[in-house]
Amino acid sequence: MVLTAFRQPVDTLAMRFVFAPTLDGFRTIFVDSNFQLYLQNSLLTAIPTTLAVLLLAAPAAYSLAHLNKRSRLFLGSVLVARMVPGIAILIPLYLAASRAGLLDRRLTLIVVYCAFNLPFAVWLLRGFFREIPNELREAAIVDGCSEFQVFWKIMVPLVGGGLVATSVFVFIGAWNEFLFALALTQSNAATAPLAVIGFRNEYGVQWGAIGAAAVMISTPVVAFAVVMQKYLVRGLTMGAVKG
Amino acid sequence: MTASASARRQRRNALLFLAPAAGVLALIYLGPMLFAFHASFTAWIFTSPGSQDIYVGLENYSDVLISPELWSAVRVTLIYAFVSICCGLTLGTIFALLLDTQFYARSFFRSIMIIPMVITPSVIGIFWKLLYEEDSGVFNTALRGLGLPGFSWLDLAMALPSIILMDVWQTTPFFMLVILAGLQALDRNTIDAAKVDGATSLQLFRYITLPHLVPYMLIATSFRAIAAMGDFDKIWLLTGGGPGDRTTTITIFAYKTGFSAFDIGRTTAIACIFVVIVLVASSPLLLRLFRSALEDRG
Repeated sequence: MVLTAFRQPVDTLAMRFVFAPTLDGFRTIFVDSNFQLYLQNSLLTAIPTTLAVLLLAAPAAYSLAHLNKRSRLFLGSVLVARMVPGIAILIPLYLAASRAGLLDRRLTLIVVYCAFNLPFAVWLLRGFFREIPNELREAAIVDGCSEFQVFWKIMVPLVGGGLVATSVFVFIGAWNEFLFALALTQSNAATAPLAVIGFRNEYGVQWGAIGAAAVMISTPVVAFAVVMQKYLVRGLTMGAVKG
Repeated sequence: MTASASARRQRRNALLFLAPAAGVLALIYLGPMLFAFHASFTAWIFTSPGSQDIYVGLENYSDVLISPELWSAVRVTLIYAFVSICCGLTLGTIFALLLDTQFYARSFFRSIMIIPMVITPSVIGIFWKLLYEEDSGVFNTALRGLGLPGFSWLDLAMALPSIILMDVWQTTPFFMLVILAGLQALDRNTIDAAKVDGATSLQLFRYITLPHLVPYMLIATSFRAIAAMGDFDKIWLLTGGGPGDRTTTITIFAYKTGFSAFDIGRTTAIACIFVVIVLVASSPLLLRLFRSALEDRG
């Protein structure tokens, strides 16, 4: 069971460095470097991304599930977009951002992450919206609700679980992303996953600092995922099996 | 009359609800893709002004397609994705079967298993470097503790197997979760009936459980295949694509070309070739999803 033995690299590390004063690493990252800035950037990127994705994806998913069930063009483009590897759009986005003076800005990352997570979110939410019977919508329309009211007052509250599942996935995706953050930011908007590299290059390898940084970066997502396990599993199987 | 008017209104509403998402997708995907396609026909070097207006036709493509680096990267990408998925699928199935039996602390183990899946990949890359260290790394320390010689995990021969091992560690939980969901959807009555008929547990697995799981396995595999081909962070931080180009996947190859040589023309050509490779490789999934999406009605 090699897997079990190395399941938590953080613990493994702690075992080896059992004599090293543990708080040194944390001191290094918080006092000697501006790690909190990176953590803050990560939060201020991942949270707006999650909210924006929900705002964009939910209406689209509702529309696909109840209004225009056979919107081939949109479904197809969502699927293809999901297959396109990030590197393919990285260079053009880098050039566009650099020309528009938008490099090293959180806003740029948020917009990119939004688009990147959108296909999966639409797909996932569509499954959840489809579980709500269309009769509910028809009854509300007969009672004089507008389409927007149906969506906002009836459908959105009913897919609460789906929204939670989707936000778990989007948040983790945005929090963990590395490639775009590496290319599109330098220092002002750099996110926490980038910060670990800093501790490798500046003064050799500072394992204590890397360990502390790793704990700070991983704890939120791991805790989030474990707490939301029920939704995570449901979302995953929904997305995986129903497509 | 009213019926068609309301149908028209519904169609208009449908478009209104789709428009924001479609706009963002077009802005971030379609725009850059068209731009990349256009740029792939130019001799554009980012650091030399004016070079973006020099058109070279298919020269970037022919240069890239005859370069051994590209084919090495394609080979590495395919081996990495294929081997990692085979191992992840096998192990994931075994763990799922184990976790499907009722036992104490089951949900605790399930929570533990989820952890590698969600840990930030860049952290994973850094930490596996520590595990693989030749002199003081955890793996070699453990091997020596068992009286075995340690070895260089990241040398020419071992680097690719080592990045695959890291990926298997991270993605086995994904397979496990999907297959576990499949197992839980399995009809217990069939199993009980087969047991009554005297089927052995191996026969049960071979003729009832496995066929039931196949669609779950296929979908998990396809999703992982797309993601694995685009993997960047873990590999970049563990090996940087080296030694030599032993662990240079297409993404790493494109990134190097783009951000160290600043050769935009070539990088965009690589990216376009990559998109074609991924789309072809994932077309079975694409078609399957698309068909199932169009067939079923709510």
